[in-house]
Amino acid sequence: MPLAITAYPESTGVLRGIYDKMRERPLPPAYRPAHGGAPGIVTAHSLDPLAIPKVFGTSTSLNGSGPLAWPERELVNAITSRLNQCFY
Amino acid sequence: MIADPRAPLVDAPPRFAALAELARLLAETPWALSVAHRVGWQAAGLTDEDILQAVILASYFGHLNRIADAVAVPLDYDVRLVPPHADPTTAPLAPAPAVVIGVPVLALASRTATHDALAAWAAHVFAAPHAPAIRARVARLLGMPAEDVALDPEIGAFVDQLTLAPWQLGDASYTALRARGLDDAALFSLAMIASTAGMLSRIEVALTALGTTPSR
Repeated sequence: MPLAITAYPESTGVLRGIYDKMRERPLPPAYRPAHGGAPGIVTAHSLDPLAIPKVFGTSTSLNGSGPLAWPERELVNAITSRLNQCFY
Repeated sequence: MIADPRAPLVDAPPRFAALAELARLLAETPWALSVAHRVGWQAAGLTDEDILQAVILASYFGHLNRIADAVAVPLDYDVRLVPPHADPTTAPLAPAPAVVIGVPVLALASRTATHDALAAWAAHVFAAPHAPAIRARVARLLGMPAEDVALDPEIGAFVDQLTLAPWQLGDASYTALRARGLDDAALFSLAMIASTAGMLSRIEVALTALGTTPSR
């Protein structure tokens, strides 16, 4: 049995509040999941709700600005994920 | 690139080729970087600020990959090209053969917002039990000096798998620890400690190794 993941519709309390704040972040449309809920990689952290703003606050500081251009950042992210064999 | 992430990027700008090499080395052998890599990437047009961002970004994505695999997160959207499946028979990454001696040649603190975000993240995750021993174990795997702190063998095995072979993470990774009564929150805490420690050690060892000259 995999570790539990709480998706947006099932979330309550502190976790729901954090998911809602995550949805308010400025984000390029390409990164918004079509299902309308919290992105899977955010829900992947749902067993530790208070870690979510810390992990994705780091993402904002890294992916939201340069000096690397957006395609260059995506290149690094894609190769890293491929080599780690993570196909999420 | 998806089919073979180690293949040279044909017709790519030199900056792209340099970033591709940087990402590959960060994922596989960050302890083997040297001053020659920094010089080569600079010749390809990367500034030290570019290199620093790429090092942190690759390490950060290494965390996201490990957590995604630790909880087996499903895809968010339909895909046209079905991604390859992870191959659990792929050999684990090699642990660092020796400690990397030196000091970071690029300063993480020069990216103030990132530095502060990582510090807040670490303070939260490392407040959990087992954190000192797991951090030390992960640091040694990645070539950073650390004390040999005793760690429960079954937790150690999980930490090693998450750090060196995240593609092998699965239900079986938790069987022994679940049998001892650890619930999902406790297991996830172990994963977060190990993954966060790996990210921070990967950054530190890379920024240190970039100032070293290979002896052979």
